[in-house]
Amino acid sequence: MALINWLCGGWTALIFAFLYLPILLLIVYSFNATDFGVSWAGFTFDWYKKLWSNAPLIEALKNSLIIASITTVLSVFLGTSGAWLLHRYRFPLLKTVGTLIFVPMVIPEIIMGVSLLIFFTVISAPLNNWLAHFSEAEFGLGYATVIIAHTTFCFPFVLVAVQARLAGVDPFLEEAALDLGAPPLKAFFLVMVPYLLPAIVSGGLMAFTLSMDEYIVTIFTTGPESQTLTIKIFGMAKKGLDPSLNAISTVFVLATAALVVLAEMVRKINR
Amino acid sequence: MKTIRLLFAFALLGILAAPLHAAPKKKAGLNLFCWSEYVPQEVIDGFTKETGIKVNVENYASNEEMLAKLLAGGAKYDLIQPSEYTIEALAKADKLEELNLANIPNIKNLAPEFTKMPHDPDGKYSVPWMAGSVGIVVNTAKVKTPVKGYKDVFDGSHKKRIVVLNDNREIVSWALSFLDHSVNDITPETLEKVKPVLKEWLPQVKVYDSDSPKTALLNGDVDLGIVWSGEAAILFKKNKKFQYVLPSEHAHRFIDSLAIPKGAANKENAEKFINYILKPEVSVKISEAFPYTNPNAEARKLLSKAQLENPASYPPGDPKLETFNDIGKLAKDIDKLVTDLKGK
Amino acid sequence: MIATTPVASEAPSNQRRPGFLGWLLMAPMLLWLVAFVVVPTAILFVYSFCQRDELGQVVYQFSWENYRRIFIDSDTGQFGTVYWTISLRSVIYAALTTGVCLLFGYPVAWFIGRAPERRRNLLLTLVMIPFWTSFLVRTYAWITILSTEGLLNSFLQYTHLISEPFEMLYTPGAVVLGLIYNYLPFLILPVYGSVEKLDNTLIEASFDLGAGPLRTFQRVILPLTWPGIVAGILLVFIPAIGMFGITQLMGGGIQPTIGEVIQNQFLQARDAPFGAALGMTLVVLFIVVFWFTSRRQRIA
Repeated sequence: MALINWLCGGWTALIFAFLYLPILLLIVYSFNATDFGVSWAGFTFDWYKKLWSNAPLIEALKNSLIIASITTVLSVFLGTSGAWLLHRYRFPLLKTVGTLIFVPMVIPEIIMGVSLLIFFTVISAPLNNWLAHFSEAEFGLGYATVIIAHTTFCFPFVLVAVQARLAGVDPFLEEAALDLGAPPLKAFFLVMVPYLLPAIVSGGLMAFTLSMDEYIVTIFTTGPESQTLTIKIFGMAKKGLDPSLNAISTVFVLATAALVVLAEMVRKINR
Repeated sequence: MKTIRLLFAFALLGILAAPLHAAPKKKAGLNLFCWSEYVPQEVIDGFTKETGIKVNVENYASNEEMLAKLLAGGAKYDLIQPSEYTIEALAKADKLEELNLANIPNIKNLAPEFTKMPHDPDGKYSVPWMAGSVGIVVNTAKVKTPVKGYKDVFDGSHKKRIVVLNDNREIVSWALSFLDHSVNDITPETLEKVKPVLKEWLPQVKVYDSDSPKTALLNGDVDLGIVWSGEAAILFKKNKKFQYVLPSEHAHRFIDSLAIPKGAANKENAEKFINYILKPEVSVKISEAFPYTNPNAEARKLLSKAQLENPASYPPGDPKLETFNDIGKLAKDIDKLVTDLKGK
Repeated sequence: MIATTPVASEAPSNQRRPGFLGWLLMAPMLLWLVAFVVVPTAILFVYSFCQRDELGQVVYQFSWENYRRIFIDSDTGQFGTVYWTISLRSVIYAALTTGVCLLFGYPVAWFIGRAPERRRNLLLTLVMIPFWTSFLVRTYAWITILSTEGLLNSFLQYTHLISEPFEMLYTPGAVVLGLIYNYLPFLILPVYGSVEKLDNTLIEASFDLGAGPLRTFQRVILPLTWPGIVAGILLVFIPAIGMFGITQLMGGGIQPTIGEVIQNQFLQARDAPFGAALGMTLVVLFIVVFWFTSRRQRIA
């Protein structure tokens, strides 16, 4: 058994090497003095300086983070509650719902983007008429529409992950909490959620990743103030990916790694 | 537990507040819908500084993306940046505003060959931004035989060492030129003639790439390419071994222009912007960022020798260049033709 | 408490018909599905029977033309068109990717799931971090590695392992590599969810009863982690079918995928109705296959 764990550990290390190989490369190249090509032309911080002064790019990063975070929260909410409710109750049309959930995953992104755009366009006129009665705000393409679009194809991932964890769960886990006098919602939070947490974390990570990287759906559902990093990067590809993109990716990776390390340290202190 | 409850509450609030945050009242300003990276930030900033008008920029990566979004009507734009055949199509469908040329005095700076173009003969709807061509890039370090046109590219000696644009209409137009037809001579009959030509050509292609064909050339994965002139200009700047050749058969000249969609809320601001970029010193900035062909005669006077001598930006001689006409529904047939050949 | 090997087709004994509370709680998700999945799909459905006009806008004129074009070859009049070949190819790539991801990813999920509790989230996040760089940036990094004058070739030539550069990029192999790279986390994470809850005592019991590691895996571990495996397979296979960025960037776009063809309909060919028809066909095919295979699973 221990041997198998060792082997798996070694394999995991290999896979991590595989996963991080291009990342290390792009970090290294973010310091390369030339803007294209394989050869090394000298060390420089120029690209970081350029990044610092590139306001639209940083703005785009901020947008991506906001959108991805809210998408993740919504997806986790919808996915977890959906999975649990489908598991707990025998809804009519159970299979229909179970299948519908996969439709956003199957549908090619452009179709999703175009159809949501049409949908938003169609409802925007009546919605704005209604909103005009009590608010200055106007519904249009922007953060909300992008978040809705992202959530629609992200929450199935959370749902499926949580469902897998629910399969074969001890049915008396919840009964036990209810027997001890806890109201149903509290029982859910105190018993079910901790049990589901690994799957929720998995799903949340997947949702965040998908949202950060999404291009086509975003293009069709975004407005000018919610341009995301991915849109900017895809656009820059035409001119040639200059290393300031490497720089921003590096910054992001290092920032996340730092956050993770920080979280670890905080946890250790708390113990 | 508390955190989770907080998260749920936050999410719920988010959903409820979203419609209110969705879009602030459309600001009076300028809603620019343009190619990513085609409008340098300093030009935008300069405009805002001079006129005080705030510019909201939204990007797209292809004409078709722009068209799809514009036609679906979801957002209102004041300025778009279509290519010539798109302008023709939009004008035909009455989707463009007529320009008030009184607001654009700097239009006199344009070189005469860029006014009165086939897609906009009266210059009513559009003002050229940048022009370019689609031609052949040769890595002269690897290719020693002369390459003058499509014939030489696809003669079989460069099999699997070629990159071409992933644009079905472009591909078909090269075959049409090779067969000595106009690039706009697209009918079911000519498409039938094109089929066997492409059948022979396409297997020789190693990479299809419209976004960054220079990558394959720079990395040495291919030796020849049929690419946008801007890409060729960038390659030439990096290493003079990448020579640009306009095909001896016909070649496509594209004109990207600024136009105002019908129903734009800030038409005058849009015209002010057009006038601004027609200033020679501003136009030069655009040329510096993107080595395409600058249609502004006054700006050309300010360009450096190196820029003017880049054969991709300013092709010497008098090449046979044609712009694309709008082909409407035939785009469908072209797509079918190429997909069929690629997919088998 | 002994957890029996879950027989997949049994409903948990406390599953009951939803009361008012149940429906209320379910409402958000149902409403969401209706508004943002059903309605757009319906729009698509309508489009697929329409035609395009000169500009590329939709003309509401009923016609079977689009579906006819998908199923019946216009030249031979027979069933089976290039769209089927392309779709099949996409499915095969997706299946291959899923298989390899499963093979490569399961041991990783195993290791993370059985790692000390405080390390698990850390390891999981580490798996994901590479994918928070932009897709384009990391794919171009791979291109730098794999291209003819790229790092790998330079390294191999430098160490005299090969004399001529090896063409790795713009081949089906490169495409598969790219696919595996981008989809691996989507297999590892769901499988982890199942591995993490494995009860060690079960495995020990299996050993105590004399079963070797292979048998234990087959009889105990595999069935218990099966839901995670299925989830992983679904979350890799289904999105992989419609994917095309990787084939374009790492495969040179030589073999179009169904995702690319559909995208082209909306963009280059400006034939949204045909694209909608292709999309609908894909969705309907999926629904049919999924409906019948999940009959035995009763996953939800």
